[in-house]
Amino acid sequence: MTQHLTLHTRTTPAGAVVELAGDLDHRTAPEVRAALPRLGIRPGQQLVLDLTGITFCDSSGITALIAARNYALAAEATIALAAVPDRVSRIFRIVGLDRVFPTHPTAQAAQDSWQPTPD
Amino acid sequence: MPGTGDPDSLDPREGRAPQEDRTQFSALLEDSAEDLYEHAPCGYLSTLLDGQIAKINTTLLDWLGYERGDLVGRKHFSDLLTVGGRLYHETHFAPLLRMQGEISGIALELKAADGSRLPVMITSTVRTGSDGQPLLVRTTVFDARDRRAYETELLRARQEADLERDRLKLLNTTLQKTLLPPALANVPGLDVSAHYHIASVDEVGGDFYDLFPLAAGTWGLFLGDVCGKGAGAAAVTSLARYTLRAASVYDPDPAAVLANLNTVLNHEYTGTDPRFCTVVFGVLTPDPDLGGFQITLASGGHPPALLMRADGTADYLPTPGGQLIGVLPDAHIATTTVRLAPGDTLLLHTDGLTEAHTIAGGADRYGDDAFLDFARSLAPTTASATVGAVRDLLDTFGTGVDDDTAVLAVHVPRPTGEEQQ
Repeated sequence: MTQHLTLHTRTTPAGAVVELAGDLDHRTAPEVRAALPRLGIRPGQQLVLDLTGITFCDSSGITALIAARNYALAAEATIALAAVPDRVSRIFRIVGLDRVFPTHPTAQAAQDSWQPTPD
Repeated sequence: MPGTGDPDSLDPREGRAPQEDRTQFSALLEDSAEDLYEHAPCGYLSTLLDGQIAKINTTLLDWLGYERGDLVGRKHFSDLLTVGGRLYHETHFAPLLRMQGEISGIALELKAADGSRLPVMITSTVRTGSDGQPLLVRTTVFDARDRRAYETELLRARQEADLERDRLKLLNTTLQKTLLPPALANVPGLDVSAHYHIASVDEVGGDFYDLFPLAAGTWGLFLGDVCGKGAGAAAVTSLARYTLRAASVYDPDPAAVLANLNTVLNHEYTGTDPRFCTVVFGVLTPDPDLGGFQITLASGGHPPALLMRADGTADYLPTPGGQLIGVLPDAHIATTTVRLAPGDTLLLHTDGLTEAHTIAGGADRYGDDAFLDFARSLAPTTASATVGAVRDLLDTFGTGVDDDTAVLAVHVPRPTGEEQQ
């Protein structure tokens, strides 16, 4: 019925990029939450969630994205979304999260926008 | 049987002097064939082709409590069976044995001399002469008491699990009911109807609604959806419901009510287990001059309400910019005010409806556009007709509805005599 979720994580100087594909719902959202502590985000970095392959996102999926944001903020990092599908951006508009998550057309654009914080 | 009588396990070719092994072997098996037959760990039984018992070993005699003379030449195998077992023996066991020459692993009950019953597993083969003609039937009988006890235990465990599951379902349904108002307030001049569709009896969903009196002839209503399912979601649902009721007594301004709820949830749930809800809160104020009601709706990231007007048009009432409640310290809450004229119907819903699969197991989901078309086909309508139509719609989706769905409709009846059906 629903598609499984796959997560691919790669590390860049700007921070971790997590590619999510499949349905992000109450069955799969815990996988995202469980993956967060393993990302090793450092202060000043930017966590990028690449949503190119997301086919569905419900309220639990949104919870997972919020958990990722909370995680990044707690690590004194930032978060950005890349390639948000129309379906998901429509839900984001309804729940008013479009103004909470910076979004970029591609993961590369998200990485390019990152500026190291001067220490 | 391993160890005792298997000559293969003492293969003389394995190095030692063959003669020495043979001596030891014979000593081990002193008059073995007879002893093995009589005291084997299973029962042996030979019967003539008509079932008359010709030979039986001591093990089986001991199990059944008979003397050899009671049975040999006197009784038939079927005499040892229960009535049910005898029927089975006649209709299945014996014909199959005749056809195949052997039959194995049949569960039967034997009657012991004292009337007690012995569950056994039976294997029989037909022994034929050199001309291929059947001579007699050899049967081994294994004591299946432990196995039967094990199966009974399995069955009991399964029955208990079924009972537990029924109890859990009942508990979930009860819990679900406590999250909903037992009855909606009766508002003079307003027709109200609601429906809660439970998607799964195993998991409590988090939809909620209510309609209740506020001060000075006004009425409050809300409908919302807590993210997630299960006990965690139910706890937030409960907190949200009571916070909304209490906050609206303190300050009924819809935006203020949702701001209060946001603060409460945001303090309660943070970190990697965030909990939020989307909710519409409205205040209904009767309009004594024009008739009908004025309604101010505040939305915290909830799908927009649908207004089905008396003139047959229908549209969403967008509240752009409203944000979900509970995760942002200063969530923005958007409000809109409309007049509900006689003949108008306002419908609030949760996204279990619009996110439903239109065909169980299919990929397509119903969607906002289809729902708007649905509303347009209904208008003008009434609260109960709208909720009835939504229930029918949910029925057509069947198990495609994978999340709970709540709908709440309010309708201002036309003055008596003008009401359309």
